[in-house]
Amino acid sequence: MRNLSAVLRRLAAAVAVVVGVVVLGGCGGGEGDSSSDGGTPAAPVVGGELRLLGRDPITLDPACASDVDSANYIVEVFGGLVTIDRDLQIVPDIAERWDMSGDGTVYTFQLRRGVLFHNGDRQVTASDVKYSMERALDPDTQSTVAELYLGDIVGAEEFADGDADEVTGIEVVDNYTLRITIDAPKPYFLAKLTYPTGFVVDRRQVEGSTCLSKTNWQRNPNATGPFKLKEWDLGQRIVLEPNSRYHLGAPSLGRVEYTLGGGSAITMYENDEIDVTGVGLNDIERVRDPAEPLNKEFHEASRMDIWYIGFNVEDEPFDDPKVRQAFAHAIDKDKLIEVVLLDAVVEADGILPPDIPGFNENLQGLEFDTEKAQQLLAESDYAEGLPDIEIATSGRGASVGPVSEAILAMWEENLGVKVATRQTEFATFLDDLRDGEYQMFELGWVADYPDAENFLKIQFYSGSSNNYSQYANPEVDELLEEADTETDEARRMSLYQQAEQIIVNEVPWVPLFHDKFSVLIKSYVKDYTLPPFVIPRLRYVHIEE
Amino acid sequence: MQGILPFVVRRLMWAPFVLLAVSLATFALGRFGPGDPVETLQGQYHNPEVVERIRHERGLDDPFLVQYGNYMWDVLHGDLGTSFTYLGVPVEDIIFDKMWVTIQYNLVALLIIFAIGIPAGIWAALRQGTWQDPLTIGVFLLFRSVPVLVVIPILQFIFAIKLGWLPSSGWVERDILGMKIGILDKRIIMPILALSLPGIAGVARLMRAQTLEVLDEDFVRTARAKGLREVVVISRHVARNALLPMTTIVGFALVGLLGGSLFVETLFGIPGIGQFIWRAVFNQDYDVIMAVTLITATAFIVANLVTDIVYGFIDPRVRLGGGGPRY
Repeated sequence: MRNLSAVLRRLAAAVAVVVGVVVLGGCGGGEGDSSSDGGTPAAPVVGGELRLLGRDPITLDPACASDVDSANYIVEVFGGLVTIDRDLQIVPDIAERWDMSGDGTVYTFQLRRGVLFHNGDRQVTASDVKYSMERALDPDTQSTVAELYLGDIVGAEEFADGDADEVTGIEVVDNYTLRITIDAPKPYFLAKLTYPTGFVVDRRQVEGSTCLSKTNWQRNPNATGPFKLKEWDLGQRIVLEPNSRYHLGAPSLGRVEYTLGGGSAITMYENDEIDVTGVGLNDIERVRDPAEPLNKEFHEASRMDIWYIGFNVEDEPFDDPKVRQAFAHAIDKDKLIEVVLLDAVVEADGILPPDIPGFNENLQGLEFDTEKAQQLLAESDYAEGLPDIEIATSGRGASVGPVSEAILAMWEENLGVKVATRQTEFATFLDDLRDGEYQMFELGWVADYPDAENFLKIQFYSGSSNNYSQYANPEVDELLEEADTETDEARRMSLYQQAEQIIVNEVPWVPLFHDKFSVLIKSYVKDYTLPPFVIPRLRYVHIEE
Repeated sequence: MQGILPFVVRRLMWAPFVLLAVSLATFALGRFGPGDPVETLQGQYHNPEVVERIRHERGLDDPFLVQYGNYMWDVLHGDLGTSFTYLGVPVEDIIFDKMWVTIQYNLVALLIIFAIGIPAGIWAALRQGTWQDPLTIGVFLLFRSVPVLVVIPILQFIFAIKLGWLPSSGWVERDILGMKIGILDKRIIMPILALSLPGIAGVARLMRAQTLEVLDEDFVRTARAKGLREVVVISRHVARNALLPMTTIVGFALVGLLGGSLFVETLFGIPGIGQFIWRAVFNQDYDVIMAVTLITATAFIVANLVTDIVYGFIDPRVRLGGGGPRY
């Protein structure tokens, strides 16, 4: 749930997600064959414990999860048809391979034989997959995100509205063949399937449970992922143990323990209580110092998100693109990032973060240029004077945070415009945003799946409910629609890049920065990757003596 | 004590009205305040149909009084509702465990506060007029004046990182006679220090003031005139009388434990109610907020009552209910 990250991000400008460590364990060798994801083959399990600091998941029901914290655990314990490997490629999981029809709307998945549920008594079949997807879409389950991730499937809407008995687009051909038909060719459809919503659950275990009731099974879920949930003590700890039969290669770790109770992360790390920790702005200069022993354990990696200032392009004075451009040119991002954010983030010229397919290195951003800013303002419809301007942020503190403060000061200094601030609690903030009540707002967006559609279409398509800027440009709409169904990858990316450049020029947003992970990892923890969004990653990790 | 029963009954008759007022006010603040848990849950992806469906299922679209009535009816039948912070988990499965954690370590801290504060207060009173009195109280006031947010990192730096004596945080439970006990682990030492150091000043100062007052009483002079040794005068006559007002403080301090401490729990990684209620408020977790409020209010009412009754026992001048003065 990007809102949760947004709130937390705001509270502590750059607190990276915390990770864990490994120790000795020991379990039998995996029977699983190594798969096409190029990952580690089922090497001898060496064991070891990884100790991490984590946050409580809101839920461990894949159908219900909508937040990063929950997804982090779910992807390690559960699995679906496809998954994402550490190179961020979509690779087979329960499906062994798939074919797409010529028109890009019918996917036929061949399921891997011998994929067992954790308790070992049953193989996953096509009807388990169908059941799990239909359960997520079932209105009685009360998932808030099922339609978002599975709604492209033919018949999903009718089923979710309670008007059909089954999702007609999900067909069980035989025990190991599943055919999914979607409503239009959508190149990002498989990416959506890597999100937990449609992951396979054990019907016998979850029958009758919803997102909001009878959730006890989540303490001991019977699933198919690389790890088994050994223990979830609410607010205290989560313990994972390896699934030695995991079909993509058994994990090397013998045990993973997440401490959920909180604590002072970096102190715990320095005191050898945890093996991985995020580094906040308070400590970042210290760990960057090469003379500091911790420096050798310091790692940075990019994240797939964007932090921005949005304008309501229908509201005065930002209905004039020149005013928006003036405000964008008046922000000195270099200075903001260097002084306020201590270089713990990456400057954003465009919308798409660097690691996403389609990122455009040649994109022309709006440079910091005071003269140009003043000139644009003088040429605008509001040359005679601007109305009162207010920027809205979400949060509960008395202060808006250093980033906003710096930007307000830049506008005042470079444009001579005083902007007032207004702070609202997050749910209300979003509500007001949807109603177009703010002239200007500060917000972030984190990728759910690595596709440009997840940023550009969702935020700037005129019909999208997440288009808080009320931005509507027929040319952009057309490019985004075309990209939606374009099956030629290179051409599709070029369409997104064209749309992105138009958006950047017309400034419904001023892109500010993309976050980085700033993390300390103990030297004995190997192959602990820092993916830009949630992927199953613990099965690659091993502990060295 | 024949007057005690009517007194208790009368006080208990008031309790439902107090609880009604408290619950109604809390319920109204949640329902009429901005936002709601379903919106918070859904975040930036907004599907109005889904929000409406869940709100309906949870009864959040009913009129206020209907919602309140349903909620209280369930509470009276032992159902405290369902959490949004741990989606779908019954509130009673969460909060009692967390309160138990909080009560344990707070109780220890409270014992330490009184065990040090009371003798220190008496001692300071007896040294009134010398430098020892202001020094004693001054040292405790210093601890009181430094915020826990400052004290905790210093403690962690010294005891965990520099000396390496203690883990910096955590909560480890042992199973003792079927109870989960977490205060037998050494990692509880720093949280207890952080909690008790600031608390001593209050108790010590009150005890000092009470002792000074009692020292002026005629019966103390009489006791001394009878030739009793000073130790006996202080312990039997002065301290006993000076301790009376402490009863009230103990009662309310005990109830105060239920609230927990956000900072101590967060920085030391203690999974208690203080940390949890904070998250619950952020998530607009109505049922959790209501349950904690109701339990705390009930505890206050009970503590108040018990304190008054205990007072009657230990101080014969206080009579509960009718009968009129007998002295």
